[in-house]
Amino acid sequence: MMISKLDKTIISVMSADIPLVSRPFQGIAASLGINEATLLSRLKAYRKKGWLRKFSAVVNHRKIGFQYNAMVVWNIPDQAVNQAGKAMSEFSRVSHCYQRKKSVGWNYNLYTMIHGKAKKECFNVVRAIARKTSCRNYKVLFSSQEYKKTAVDFAEHALTKS
Amino acid sequence: MSPKRKNKIRLSALDKRILNRLQEDIPFVSRPWQAVAGELGIKEELLLKRIGSLKDEGIIRRISAGFAPRKIKYVSTLVGVKVSPAKCSAVAKRINVYPEVTHNYKRNAEYNIWFTLVAKDRKRILSIIGRLKEDPNIQRITEFPAGKLFKINVKLKA
Repeated sequence: MMISKLDKTIISVMSADIPLVSRPFQGIAASLGINEATLLSRLKAYRKKGWLRKFSAVVNHRKIGFQYNAMVVWNIPDQAVNQAGKAMSEFSRVSHCYQRKKSVGWNYNLYTMIHGKAKKECFNVVRAIARKTSCRNYKVLFSSQEYKKTAVDFAEHALTKS
Repeated sequence: MSPKRKNKIRLSALDKRILNRLQEDIPFVSRPWQAVAGELGIKEELLLKRIGSLKDEGIIRRISAGFAPRKIKYVSTLVGVKVSPAKCSAVAKRINVYPEVTHNYKRNAEYNIWFTLVAKDRKRILSIIGRLKEDPNIQRITEFPAGKLFKINVKLKA
């Protein structure tokens, strides 16, 4: 897989808020010294290759009523992780589901992010998942404060190469 | 803005439809808003106007592309930190200094600060964690690197 310098610049520009105009890609392309058609075909290629997950609006969850987000960590037997991960992913209130390494004193290997308009809604999803996966060993960590939430800054200068 | 007012935003039926549609893929075509407006059965100008107000109100944070770090040769990870509750915000501030930190939350557990890192290589991740380890306010800091990704799709029905 090759990522050219142009790809990197496109990735960086598209990770930030795009201008709200009728033809946003025209202006972005011009600023990169390429034409609109080239930019559009690159973006479609990224989507196809799985580099680009989603081009969409990022919404402030709390402002549309989702006041609560819970990170729920689960201890699932290794041989059941695949099945459990798939089952958890089917819940629309689950936005993220990852397998992660266990650590000493922290015996959890599946992580889900669950969103709700009330704590009760989150707990209902948690209980439904627990039933479906027969998992009794889990922990619910609600966020009590957001210290930072930002897009990745893929700009060449932003992230230091060690 | 007071937290009370923040929670009281009432959305029209149209704004809800717009928000639900815009949380899904927007097409890569010359006039994306014309295409989306067509799907919603409204005019492009009206859609642009509504998106503008939703942004002004902070309901839409941004319209942008989300990339899969691993696919474009970046590395990401999750880090849990144990801090005495009184020191949480001071430690959070230190963590936030790094542009590689994308999300950072206080949570109610023995690990009470959780943040995510997206960096150019493993070396950089280890260097950031190593530097934070020197902070006397941090009792323990543990990385929880991801194995298999089962789902990532943030889409909350307005």
